[in-house]
Amino acid sequence: MGLRDVLPGGGTSSVTGGMFGDGGPTFLTSKIDWIINWSRRNSLWPMPFGTACCAIEMMASAASNYDLARFGMERMSFSPRQADVLICAGRVPYKLAPVLRRIWDQMPQPKWCVSMGACASSGGVFDVYSMVQGIDTIIPVDVYVPGCPPRPEGLIYGLMMIQEKIREESLSRHFEHRAEDPSSVARPHANDAQVVGLTGPFGNSTQQEELSNKESGATEEPPEELIP
Amino acid sequence: MTLDETKAGLDAVEEGPHLSEKSMGSSDGKIADPDGHPSVVALLLRFGDSVSGHRVSAGTQHVVWIDSARNLEVLHWLRDDQDHQYDMISDITAVDYGAGRPIDVVYQLFSTVYKRALRIRCELPLDGLEIDSIVELWSAANWLEREVYDLFGVTFRKHPDLRRILMPHDYEEGHPLRKDFPLRGRFSRAEQTRRALDQSVEHSYIAEEMDLGRDPQQAVPIIGTKDGDG
Amino acid sequence: MSKRTVEFNVGRNPEMGVDGSVVDSPIFPFDMPEPDLGTENMLINIGPQHPATHGVLRLVCELDGETVKRVIPHIGYLHSSFEKLGEYRTWNQIVPLTDRMDYLAPLIYNCVYVMTVEKLMGIEVTERCKVVRVICMEMDRIFSHLLWLGTTAIDVGAFTPFLYAFQERERIYQLHEAFTGARITTSATRVGGMMADLPEGWTNGLQDFLDTFPKTLEEIDRLLTRNQIHIGRSQGIGAISAEDAINSGFTGANLRACGVDYDVRKDQPYYDYETYDFEIPVGQYGDCYDRYLCRMEEMRQSVSLLRQALERLPGGPIDVEDPNISLPSKTDCMSDMESMIHHFKLITEGIPAPEGDCYMPIEGSKGELGMYIVAEEGGTKPVRWRIRPPSLVNLSVLPKLAEEHLVSDLVMINASLDIVLGEIDR
Ligand code: SF4
Repeated sequence: MGLRDVLPGGGTSSVTGGMFGDGGPTFLTSKIDWIINWSRRNSLWPMPFGTACCAIEMMASAASNYDLARFGMERMSFSPRQADVLICAGRVPYKLAPVLRRIWDQMPQPKWCVSMGACASSGGVFDVYSMVQGIDTIIPVDVYVPGCPPRPEGLIYGLMMIQEKIREESLSRHFEHRAEDPSSVARPHANDAQVVGLTGPFGNSTQQEELSNKESGATEEPPEELIP
Repeated sequence: MTLDETKAGLDAVEEGPHLSEKSMGSSDGKIADPDGHPSVVALLLRFGDSVSGHRVSAGTQHVVWIDSARNLEVLHWLRDDQDHQYDMISDITAVDYGAGRPIDVVYQLFSTVYKRALRIRCELPLDGLEIDSIVELWSAANWLEREVYDLFGVTFRKHPDLRRILMPHDYEEGHPLRKDFPLRGRFSRAEQTRRALDQSVEHSYIAEEMDLGRDPQQAVPIIGTKDGDG
Repeated sequence: MSKRTVEFNVGRNPEMGVDGSVVDSPIFPFDMPEPDLGTENMLINIGPQHPATHGVLRLVCELDGETVKRVIPHIGYLHSSFEKLGEYRTWNQIVPLTDRMDYLAPLIYNCVYVMTVEKLMGIEVTERCKVVRVICMEMDRIFSHLLWLGTTAIDVGAFTPFLYAFQERERIYQLHEAFTGARITTSATRVGGMMADLPEGWTNGLQDFLDTFPKTLEEIDRLLTRNQIHIGRSQGIGAISAEDAINSGFTGANLRACGVDYDVRKDQPYYDYETYDFEIPVGQYGDCYDRYLCRMEEMRQSVSLLRQALERLPGGPIDVEDPNISLPSKTDCMSDMESMIHHFKLITEGIPAPEGDCYMPIEGSKGELGMYIVAEEGGTKPVRWRIRPPSLVNLSVLPKLAEEHLVSDLVMINASLDIVLGEIDR
């Protein structure tokens, strides 16, 4: 926000106003975007939220053979306060859900989330009483890495997708990218109907794309064919 | 796939294991050939009136059903008697057969001295799910009994710290490993998610909890006893 | 229910308010008498998401200064209800669940599960299958101990062993992958045999590994065994006596470090372990250092066991030849009606079991790993499937071990127990 005020032509308070409005980014802002995105995407600090088997593959990606450090992820940040990417690797039971949500809330913007493995993305084989059926019901997810567990190559590819996503970001759409409803803190990311729809037996993954593209706290009518 | 078909498919999944009407695996009062196992012979001699069944399972494994009121006494004797010395408790668990049958508490014993294993089972009727805790004999029993309490709802008398161990302390849906508990829980996923996020992360952070288990007489825990519908 | 978060018992002057008035803050309640330093203990929380707890374990500690007065472990943060799920699956469908339970030694879990089912059903597997399973289990013992070694070394501040260990683990990953197609979630066993026979040339790969692995192990040994820092951090830390250890249910290397030579492979032998030539390393003091030594030696013994097993690996079929248990070959299915029907029936209905219950313990990488299965007559699903979790019982001793140690030692003790949360919580 501060940047907008100092830039030539900026200084208006409305999100769509000024040089960030209809005309699209200018030469100067696109260069600044490029520099910021370049530095952001090459110095991602992952917060490894590893719980189960997938965490072992995450460790393998960080160890010598696969060496995550090549992509600027030299430092695994075990503190959410200094992290940019949350890698949720493994099963998340309901008992762990508030912890995951809190860690996400504690991470400062800009932040991204990778959901690693079938369990984190959809519950996997664990369609049972104790498991969260996909962490996207709890926090917004940017990239899903499929697999049980995904190979380290898969995780690295997922992280490169995050880098790709960052490359597309622009300061002029800052509020779009970084939108977060303060009232959603410590609340589920999806509303009730969405949770039921996402977690319905045989039903998950179809609506996932829809959910992940949406801003948090959105309230939309659930698709009709949801299983109650 | 129509909704009905999906539902039918779901029901098939929900159905779970089929149970026969036969009184399978219960203490039928029959005594199989005890000669293969000296401890079974001794148990029959000493606690004959409390032994309600015995059989040999999976070829060589001896299972003895005893009266649940005397579990502490029998296990104590098995642990300390010079000829048996079952000094190691490998496992404590429970079995629910469903269909209103009693829940069995299973003790798996092993003697590191004589290299013998023995399985003791106690039947508990569904309306009297209580048995004496054996933490005073083996401290290994502490968490194993808590787990049985959590997942089956069996209460262990005089247990120093009987709280839920695996499920959240305020879990209200019941005891998950019971046969009448549905695989996906009793509440809808939305409700489960909401409740999950309502849990207090600081719960285990309170001072009262640290007082738990300090005094063995204090059998009634301050928190986490809130029981579901089980 | 009154709650309080961490209570910092700092000796603060009540007259510290900005305006000179008494400060009334939640940390320092107004009516509290001036605290006497060192009288009240402090509660701190470690986990559930903390790199030093080796998973999602939560430890609530009561500290007096830096000394741990009491520690209460909280588990269940990874409860995935394997046991309930197992009741809804046929015998062979459960196999993929088993390796997700202990992802540090998946093949051991695959093996012990089918061993229990086979014992219950009275199936005698072929000689080749036995040796192949021994190879699998010993390989994964190394696999699991290596991870333990790496992560424990990190906990005492040594990063190099982690990299060395993971390099060797990567080679076992490759062996896993060559055999089963997966790096961790192997699901290699089936009731009555294996998913497939060893692929051609696989034994050479294993032989290669066995030739070079001991060298790396010696390097790690040189880095740690006589390392002053490591010794200082582990000797005399978390010691327990033999009787206490047995009474509290310790098994595996943790128990052997106390001087008890209980090893299921020797005491209740399975798969002809009594005919292999290997030794059980036993410690003396039962502290973290002894546990470390035991596990290091166990890896060496496993290498020797693997060599012996490779030597005696017999030919012949790997599955039992019983159409009611083993699937017919794919070629037969495609050309022969009988086999097709067998295949269909086995897949849709499963294998009928006799009535009864069965407990089968084996020596897992963490301790005595047992499975308990209750079946009904002709049942194709278990009535109850129970895993005797060695790490759960080992972890339950942590409060006893950590008492009166420093917080940093608590981390070391926790690491030295070699726990895996997937199997503790199940
Ligand atoms: S996706 Fe598979 S490997 Fe990953 S945590 Fe789930 S079960 Fe384990």
